[in-house]
Amino acid sequence: MNTKKRGLSFYIKIYFKIIAQDIKSRMSYRADFIISTLGMIATNIVGFVAFWLMFSKFPSINGWGYYEMLFLYGFSLVAITPTQCLLDNNWNLRRYVYDGDFVKYCFRPINLFFYYESEVFDVKGFGQLFFGLGTICYAWYHLALPVNFVMILKLIVFLLSASLFMMAMQTAAAATCFWIENSFYILDLSLKLKDYAKYPITIYNPLFKFIFTFLLPVAFIAYYPSLVILRPDEVPLLSWLSPVIGGLFFYLSYKMWMRGASRYDGSGS
Amino acid sequence: MENMIELKDITKEFKVLNRREGLKGSFQDLFSRDYKIVRAVDHISLSVKPGEIVGFLGPNGAGKSTTIKMMTGVLEPTNGELLVNGRIPYKNRTQNSQEIGVVFGQRSQLWWALPLIESFKLLKDIYQIPQDEYDGMMELYAKLVNFDEILHKPVRQMSLGQRTLSDILAAFLHNPKVVFLDEPTIGLDVAMKSKIRELILELNKQKHTTVILTTHDMGDVDALCERIVIIDKGKMLYDNDIEHLRKFFGAYRTLKIRPREKMDVMVEDLTKELEMMDVRISHDDEWVFLLVNEEKTSVLKVLGLIQEKHKIKDMQLEEISTEDVIKKIYKEGI
Repeated sequence: MNTKKRGLSFYIKIYFKIIAQDIKSRMSYRADFIISTLGMIATNIVGFVAFWLMFSKFPSINGWGYYEMLFLYGFSLVAITPTQCLLDNNWNLRRYVYDGDFVKYCFRPINLFFYYESEVFDVKGFGQLFFGLGTICYAWYHLALPVNFVMILKLIVFLLSASLFMMAMQTAAAATCFWIENSFYILDLSLKLKDYAKYPITIYNPLFKFIFTFLLPVAFIAYYPSLVILRPDEVPLLSWLSPVIGGLFFYLSYKMWMRGASRYDGSGS
Repeated sequence: MENMIELKDITKEFKVLNRREGLKGSFQDLFSRDYKIVRAVDHISLSVKPGEIVGFLGPNGAGKSTTIKMMTGVLEPTNGELLVNGRIPYKNRTQNSQEIGVVFGQRSQLWWALPLIESFKLLKDIYQIPQDEYDGMMELYAKLVNFDEILHKPVRQMSLGQRTLSDILAAFLHNPKVVFLDEPTIGLDVAMKSKIRELILELNKQKHTTVILTTHDMGDVDALCERIVIIDKGKMLYDNDIEHLRKFFGAYRTLKIRPREKMDVMVEDLTKELEMMDVRISHDDEWVFLLVNEEKTSVLKVLGLIQEKHKIKDMQLEEISTEDVIKKIYKEGI
């Protein structure tokens, strides 16, 4: 009997093959591709303009200056990119489950979550990535932050852990559809919440500070991880722990998704 | 290993919310929930040998799909023992998937936007099919179907028939031990139906693949299945070969009559005149069908009785059709 091994390298290879095909076929709808790219650029520009308008009125918020805020903004844009690129199919999950079409993903000899998410790769996320990175560099320069190996490493590690939080929130929100029929609002909420990520948590009142830290970890998408770079003298323990908590949180949301999928009974034969 | 599939006393129950009626009812449902247990599959036992083709028949909601979902590992049985290729499917879902192929009616499992050949290549990687086996399979496929028509066409541009064909080819690609087909010919035209049946039969023969299929189409049964299993309300009503079933009802003949009179008048009269004779009457636009049990009444006697009072344009005598047999079992049991 053949037991075939499927390790990490297998999954990475498969993933690149699938998204290469996906992107190729997506490009064949040229108008669709161009329009959605333009739309993405417009969304980011509008976001920028709103940000700039606000700051031309208030030069600083609660001790946070313009460039620091800009850094947070760029940081949050980059942190949500993996969610947008890799987990976009979560938006369709509710429909598949509701129609009973989800069953078609259940017969492959590979990880179900991986297989399901690999079906869609959102190229538009890259635009966001470049916007975000550009913003970070611009703010970095104006804040006169040192450029050295340790700082870059910190940036990468904490960007990754921040993105884990966003991925976890969205995955957990999407997974609710395995239990709740009308779960769209929960998923939508997770999208809306990310808008609160780009502000320092100190501007919120204590109740929301608590909620955004411990219940809906929005503050981990930009604020806590950025502190490591922006305010190296006053880094709270939570910031240092964010890679671990992020990993744990994502693992739990993945487990929740898989648990939901296993109780799925493919209604509507 | 003797049997490819082994079901012992399998039962599957679902917990269903008893919804109350009206607005007030749904408000009550929010607070107090009243569940009932629905038994979709009720103590089914079955064993299938390697290479067999078994047809699952039964009205909608009979429990066919639930049974298949348990065999593929999507659902866990509530009770009973279930082995597919020596494994418990829901416990080893990944490994089990490597050795089965599944086609679920109209739900294509192929990548919607990709040409078929690219889907095949991805499947080759996912199932880790060795290059020589893959090449062999492609060679075989090229002989069996008109490959040029579909190979470079994106799945979303295919007709339903081409899509079903592609899905079946994809399900056999990794040379699985068992292939499950849930209503493979649903919604297809006659020519495509027979094409698909030929393909399934040929693949079964060449690869010695066990095939489990559900269908409502008697054509599928006649063309493919040496053995049929009839399920109704979760219970197994019949499990044997089709010949046996026909023999069981062998005393039945269908007498077809084309009357000169108006159809509805004719049917009304006949119903009255043959009331005493245990004959089932049905009709279409042209023909009246009389299902006669020859152990009780002879067909000639019935015909004689009719000809005393009516003029007949044409008549035919037929063996009972598979369709009639199944209908009779659904309605009356064995």
